Amino acid sequence: MTNFVVSARGLRKAYKNKVALDGTTFEIPAGRIVGLIGPNGAGKTTALKAILGLIPFDGDLKVLGKDPRTQRDALMNDVCFIADVAVLPRWITVAQAIEFVAGVHPRFDAAKCHRFLEGTQLKPGLKVREMSKGMIVQLHLALVMAIDAKLLVLDEPTLGLDILYRKQFYQRLLEDYFDEDKTIVVTTHQVEEIEHILTDVMFIRDGKVVLDAAMDSLGERYAEVLVNADRLDAARALKPIDERSLPFGKTVMLFDGADPARLAALGETRTPGLADLFVATMKGTYA
Amino acid sequence: MAAVEWSDGAPIYRQLKERVIAMMLDGVLKPGDALPSVRQVAAEYQLNPITVSRAYQELADDQLVEKRRGLGMYVTDGAAARLLQSERERFLREEWPLVLERIQRLGLSIQELLDPQQKWGPK
Repeated sequence: MTNFVVSARGLRKAYKNKVALDGTTFEIPAGRIVGLIGPNGAGKTTALKAILGLIPFDGDLKVLGKDPRTQRDALMNDVCFIADVAVLPRWITVAQAIEFVAGVHPRFDAAKCHRFLEGTQLKPGLKVREMSKGMIVQLHLALVMAIDAKLLVLDEPTLGLDILYRKQFYQRLLEDYFDEDKTIVVTTHQVEEIEHILTDVMFIRDGKVVLDAAMDSLGERYAEVLVNADRLDAARALKPIDERSLPFGKTVMLFDGADPARLAALGETRTPGLADLFVATMKGTYA
Repeated sequence: MAAVEWSDGAPIYRQLKERVIAMMLDGVLKPGDALPSVRQVAAEYQLNPITVSRAYQELADDQLVEKRRGLGMYVTDGAAARLLQSERERFLREEWPLVLERIQRLGLSIQELLDPQQKWGPK
């Protein structure tokens, strides 16, 4: 059990009118980049808050071998967090922010942080108030990457950023931070942008994990087939989990665990993108 | 490196491997040249490092690159010859039969194929 960074069994959390976690069960090994993906209100943020020990909940949860409910202080030495809501005070300057984190976090390397900020517009005297949203995230990322943590939790880290800042964000993370001893858990709605970065993916719906798979196993399990009009009945007999028609009489069907040889006889096949898989899995969520 | 589009057909690590092989065939990567680090490629192409490592591992298995301890991956001396050999075999096995079929269908003679200008004039 100790080789899992996060190990959750039967997590349960209900807010006043809504069940946010409903027997949520999953495990995250070290050295992975895991995407936690789900529609709004599916329980993503609640799951992350449980991992970080920010809320009470029921069920078994071990993060780096510790219970976040009772050992949060010890856990925080090895866990870092970037939320979609900026928490940096507006009056603080770059230099003050670095000084502050250096004062509160034993694993923070100020020199490293300065190095990450070289070549950016974030000069020491600049106040958060004077920064664009992208610059604030840039500062936040530099602060967090300079902490030698084992688990990094990112909740919608690139929300509201333009495409240049988004690309740069993940580029920095891969180049300057991630290695096989670190683990990253990230939630985002920009599925296409991160799908090749992920090593594993988890779909969460109504507080339950509905898909938990290594990215390179998706191609073995799922297939998308471009079916000709005359093969429709044969294709439907193999029970596609999703189907949508295209112009010129072709239909795209998505199969889960069907025999590749039989699918190939129906038409051109390919591995579906994460976004298509997500849409098919979450059908009827808001109905 | 420019932005890349990955196709949905083959696994990404294989597409990355093919890309490196294409660079070797084009002479962009020569024997003794260093490959960029896994980290650099991962960041630049926005891929997870495991995907990149897997592509590099296959290139090493094919003896096209070799690992030098603490330094990284280097193109082997025999890479060019090995690739030329395997590309020749692949051409003869996969592409040539189709070309040959087309030549026969069009009724072209060897003479015409070897010296197209003689019959059709300079372009």
